[in-house]
Amino acid sequence: MPADTDTPLDRKAVFAIVRDNLAEILEREPGTIAEGQSFSDDLEADSLALIELVEALEEDLAERSVELRIEDEDLEDLKTVRDAVDYVYARVQEA
Amino acid sequence: MLPIAVDAMGGDKAPGEIVAGARHAAELGIPIVLVGPEDLDGRGDLDLIIATEVIEMDDDPAGGVRRKKDSTLVRAAEAVRDGKASAMISAGNTGATMAAALLRMGRIKGVNRPAIATVIPVPGSTPTVMLDSGANAEVQPEWLVQFAQMGAVYATDRFGIQNPKVGLLSIGEEPGKGDQLRKEAFSLLEGAPGINFIGNVEGRDLMKDRVDVVVTDGFTGNVVLKTLEGALRGVITALFDALGSDPANQPHTDALMPSLLSLYEMFDPDTYGGAILLGVDGVCIISHGSTSAKAMVNGIKIAQEMVSAGMVEQIRNAIAANA
Repeated sequence: MPADTDTPLDRKAVFAIVRDNLAEILEREPGTIAEGQSFSDDLEADSLALIELVEALEEDLAERSVELRIEDEDLEDLKTVRDAVDYVYARVQEA
Repeated sequence: MLPIAVDAMGGDKAPGEIVAGARHAAELGIPIVLVGPEDLDGRGDLDLIIATEVIEMDDDPAGGVRRKKDSTLVRAAEAVRDGKASAMISAGNTGATMAAALLRMGRIKGVNRPAIATVIPVPGSTPTVMLDSGANAEVQPEWLVQFAQMGAVYATDRFGIQNPKVGLLSIGEEPGKGDQLRKEAFSLLEGAPGINFIGNVEGRDLMKDRVDVVVTDGFTGNVVLKTLEGALRGVITALFDALGSDPANQPHTDALMPSLLSLYEMFDPDTYGGAILLGVDGVCIISHGSTSAKAMVNGIKIAQEMVSAGMVEQIRNAIAANA
């Protein structure tokens, strides 16, 4: 789906981006993904799935004219969907 | 047909043996594009996609793909993604090859996780396809059903086996054997449409004509594969040692040698050219780290055959039909 570059990225929008990309990678319905879920315990996402997510997020945000590089060393701190949303939202604010 | 992208810098014997194999394949009429540095030695008139970096054998797989965006592996995968190549082959870092294919080509829609399929020789019969041989250390029961679907397509395209017999690797033939994963997978495989599931199989069945496709988790599959390789090498060494232990054996050894060499050829990994990553949206051959020119030629031939057979499209259809 083409990115909507006119919509400002508030936290809710960032969650939607993270959720939708995660849903596609994990072959799940977006509605089954919640902020409080753990990547490993609840969503059974392994390290390669997280790398897929990071690459997809960078690409998705670039289409919205937000240049974002998620550092590999920061990945270890992202344990839950909320961690990822908070991280991306903070970086988007800085950008 | 679009050319096959060959990672010229992947493998212990790269670029020499890799380029030699690629040139031989080109002489056989297979279109080739090498992926390597601008000053790559010995490429002759083969086309080249320039890549300035190499993901080393000890590089972290996913990290290497993310950091080295101008690496031979990443550029090879991008060539397939961008329609400049029909398939890719590398003898480099296995994990990085998988990550590059997954991150650049993407997964076929509906596939949970790609799996590495290897070919195990079976004396007097078609080989057995085993997957997963190391892509996913931990799997879920549903993934094993997809491995069965993908492996069956590969067995048909590669060896012409119609309606291949699929077995679940376990510690006994009875349905109740194995851990929770195997029990749940057994139940799912039994009810999965389009799969000729024959039940549990054991390690000793891999080299028999009992089964065509064996599914298992990547941890078990990798242990099985390495054990088989080591055991076969050990048996062959012991056999030649025994024959050479007494000069009186020499006439018999000479008489047996053609048959023994033929047997050796059957068990030689170079004969099979490499494993294949199934479930990504393109053909990706993962060759052994010690790949020789001969193995590279054979790997390229497999890539060409799978492209010609339309394997990726068939897997896409098989997964969609059972979604």
